[in-house]
Amino acid sequence: MSGPPIQPLVQLRGLEKRYGGRPALRGIDLTIDERQILCIVGPDGAGKTTLLRAIAGLLEVHATEARVLGYDLTADVTELKARIGYVPQSFSLYRELSVMENLTFTARLHRMAEAEFAARSRELLERTGLTAFADRAAAALSGGMRQKLAIANALLARPALLALDEPTAGVDVVARAEIWALLERERRDALILWSTSYLDEAEACDWLIYLDEGRVVASGTPAALRAAVPLELYRAWGDDARTIARAARALPYVQGARAAGRFARIEVQQRRTPGVARVLRDLERLPGGTVRFAEQAEPDMESTLLALAQGLAG
Amino acid sequence: MIIRTRGLTKRFGDFTAVDHLSIEVEPGTIFAFLGANGSGKSTTIRMLIGLLRPTEGTVEVDGIDVIRHPRRVRDRIGYMGQKVSLYQGLSIRENVEFYAGLYGLAGAELERRWGALRERFALSQAEREKPEDLPAGIRQRAGLALSTLHNPRLLFLDEPTAGVDVRSRALFWELIQDEAGAGVTVFVTTHFLEETDYCDWVSFIDAGHLIANAAPEELRRRYSDGYRVDIEGVPAERDRLAALLPGGRIEATPSGLQLVLPTLEPAALAALERLVADHPGTRVRIEQPSMTDVFRRVLAERAASGGEP
Repeated sequence: MSGPPIQPLVQLRGLEKRYGGRPALRGIDLTIDERQILCIVGPDGAGKTTLLRAIAGLLEVHATEARVLGYDLTADVTELKARIGYVPQSFSLYRELSVMENLTFTARLHRMAEAEFAARSRELLERTGLTAFADRAAAALSGGMRQKLAIANALLARPALLALDEPTAGVDVVARAEIWALLERERRDALILWSTSYLDEAEACDWLIYLDEGRVVASGTPAALRAAVPLELYRAWGDDARTIARAARALPYVQGARAAGRFARIEVQQRRTPGVARVLRDLERLPGGTVRFAEQAEPDMESTLLALAQGLAG
Repeated sequence: MIIRTRGLTKRFGDFTAVDHLSIEVEPGTIFAFLGANGSGKSTTIRMLIGLLRPTEGTVEVDGIDVIRHPRRVRDRIGYMGQKVSLYQGLSIRENVEFYAGLYGLAGAELERRWGALRERFALSQAEREKPEDLPAGIRQRAGLALSTLHNPRLLFLDEPTAGVDVRSRALFWELIQDEAGAGVTVFVTTHFLEETDYCDWVSFIDAGHLIANAAPEELRRRYSDGYRVDIEGVPAERDRLAALLPGGRIEATPSGLQLVLPTLEPAALAALERLVADHPGTRVRIEQPSMTDVFRRVLAERAASGGEP
């Protein structure tokens, strides 16, 4: 129904947003050409929610250029809003209405045809596992089910763009996997913007942007961001990884060290490293910790986000 | 065992929230308690710390029968909930004094204890600030510092890393591992599965029952394809390696050998250590199965066996 996508789907240049005197977004440049799952990560207060709300047409913004699905964000966004599904962080549906009543209400807002609604709601209830709960009040659903209802509701009118604000925060592992699977299928039909603090979600998305203090600090595929991280990651394997980690933290150039299963993961900033050979030798001779052997490892998503949080990369 | 429950059960009317749960926690370990929302996790914690009376079963914490002496238990433990219990409007320092008063800690003893915690938890700069003016990560570190103010032997942390950025989470786990290293037992819940790798034991509760209850290494053995060890440079050592690493599979790769081991025992590590020492220039790379993948398989097998997902 949505036809060929408008190119680019999102085009932002110098996007700014202030709340009173406080800047929340300080000049965002972002171009998104294709439908995909794009994850937005960054510390508390980085501007993730504001950016999602701005793209969803929910905020008045200033920008050199701000087009979403071809619509100008600084002009009338009524039509844009009809083509966007937005799921805020806190549950925003009617708690006293049932699952089905909530969907019906949304269908009316979008003036969906009866037959179209019947087919689409049946499909979404099935895919979210909510069919058996169609008559249950939203307030009586578990946290994970409520979140799935909110997403089903946002998907009802087949939006071209879906903006989800930490849809899996505080959601259990089972529901989290289900939500991810639900949206993975949707990425062919819509651009999905998703903010998250889960490493596995950041790793699994198609494109990742890292926000800090209202700016895009880094942007790329997860693999590209991992490859660019200015942090060396080492693993020291031994019989007591926790003791090894503690001993490693005493090395002057070590940024952080934690026991993770059978090894201690040790991070060293690239600008402070004495060289790989020296680090490996130091680790193998750590006092107190019996390191069987040490290896350098490819930085993973955890190291990547750590480096970004420390302002090392980007 | 510092925590021991037997047949622990809690019913609310017709609903059984926790169903004959038996867990044991060894002193000085980090015990990860996982489960979906509504799986019985919070109910269990509330029974362990004496806030909720079980319908059936026994609970013993630090040698105390919690059902008979709930208050005695609460004096010995540290607790940090999802909403860090710092008073807004009071500075961190004032919060410290308030909690110290509850524990009867004052004067030079308080200064010594807080001085050490402030240093370790990097709170010197935040001390004069009010919690509402601080970032979530620092607030949570302050919460942890406060919950350990009275030197408890046992810490209960209920989703301490929810809503906290990756940098603060990393630092937080370093602190928790240090606590455990100093002999404190840590009972912790989390939604971040990769964090179970920082723990010694993992219990996973679903619909009031345990569906996994083992050390991370044991879960990896049961629910993953094992450790992959790539060795570059010594194909001639194949037979020797095969003899040294019983239970593993060994295959030639274009650049050397690949081993697959169900677990990574000290003997295997020692063998790899010797190999590297005997053959300088050999490159060894170990891939540890991720706990996120492990839990995916736990849940998939649970669903396949007809259990509720």
